[in-house]
Amino acid sequence: MKYFVRGTLLALTLGAMTVPMASAQTADEDPDLEVNVSQPDFNLAALPTNLRLPKGRFAFRVTHRFARPLGEGDFGSLLEDFFGFDSGAQIGLELRYGLFRGAQVGINRTSDRTIQFFGQYDVKSQQSFPMGVGVWGSVDGTNNFRDSYSPALGVVLSRELGEFGAVYAEPIWVNNTNAEPSELVDDNSTLMLGLGTRLRIRPTVYVTAEVSPRLTGYAPGDALVSFGLEKRAGGHAFSINFSNGFGTTMAQVARGGTSFDDWYIGFNIARKFY
Amino acid sequence: MAGRVRPIVLAAVLAVAAAGCDEKLSDVAGPTPDLAPTLSSIQREIFNTTDSSGRIACIQCHSDNGRIPAGNLVLLEGRSYAQLVGRASSFKAGAVLVVPNDPDGSYMIHKVEGRSDVVGQRMPRTGGPFLTEGQIRIIRRWIEQGAQND
Repeated sequence: MKYFVRGTLLALTLGAMTVPMASAQTADEDPDLEVNVSQPDFNLAALPTNLRLPKGRFAFRVTHRFARPLGEGDFGSLLEDFFGFDSGAQIGLELRYGLFRGAQVGINRTSDRTIQFFGQYDVKSQQSFPMGVGVWGSVDGTNNFRDSYSPALGVVLSRELGEFGAVYAEPIWVNNTNAEPSELVDDNSTLMLGLGTRLRIRPTVYVTAEVSPRLTGYAPGDALVSFGLEKRAGGHAFSINFSNGFGTTMAQVARGGTSFDDWYIGFNIARKFY
Repeated sequence: MAGRVRPIVLAAVLAVAAAGCDEKLSDVAGPTPDLAPTLSSIQREIFNTTDSSGRIACIQCHSDNGRIPAGNLVLLEGRSYAQLVGRASSFKAGAVLVVPNDPDGSYMIHKVEGRSDVVGQRMPRTGGPFLTEGQIRIIRRWIEQGAQND
């Protein structure tokens, strides 16, 4: 089964790479090239949005979650450590590609040696339906995709609030979130409900917030919560965020944060290549 | 049309993949790769036989075949359930060998883990090799699930 999963993902990746690169297009030819001020990026802190990636185009993202809890030590010590920036971090690198109109695939590797392959398809846009509906599928694999695999399936529901941002509800099922064999545990999967928002407070400035409570199944620690401040600048988006955990892949999000007592600073930098 | 079919195919691939993503119990079981959290499996893999680590079989001492069973405990097949589950220890007052659903309250677990509160020696009493952490984890799971006679 391991080889089947690897082979399938390899085929999907190669398939994505062999799609001819889109020639120079204008927003008239592909509306997905237009800036969407309500959904300017593909993620909140960790949860996906319904922003469409134009066919044949790439987007890149780097995530940092610094490991020092902000409440550790006194303020002087925190300042000496520049709010945790001097401590180690869980770093993620992500590349995504517009496979065909409304569909994107990507790969995300975090520095705990987890690799996530993912795909998302925009089923309905808000132009023709009361809300945007996207379908999400991914597989996390630990130890550079050699040890423990956690596939996820979910739906991304979004509602754009004019030009003031968007709200999200994302029921997502993640299998094999518990790293022990199923014979030894009560729960081996997690059903969570990602809830989030991105609100536009200035023409290119947003606040973001998300929480991913686990509805059933394996749910260690507390639900992962993140909030942050984001600045969009052309094809870049920079956000500084605060989270109670380090998760950025879907299985990491499902496993939750450490606790509501420990908060960590982090940032995301995203770049669209179009 | 093709655009609508492709995500369905992707979802189907993921669903199939999900069925095979669980970790293997044999990776935890170590020197007894067929060990499972059932009494019949524990009987076969732990009580009755030695394993590749060199740990001796429990029934080498816990038997009444031509000898007095160590600890007044018989772990022979067909008798081990009644000897263990809900039965008081012969040597430690108030201790119960296996308390269903409570591995930490089960004196058998204290004995194989070698906790400081045990009377006598850690089991097996040969001084090792002892049960591995994974083997004990599987026995604990049998107890967590109610210590059934399964």
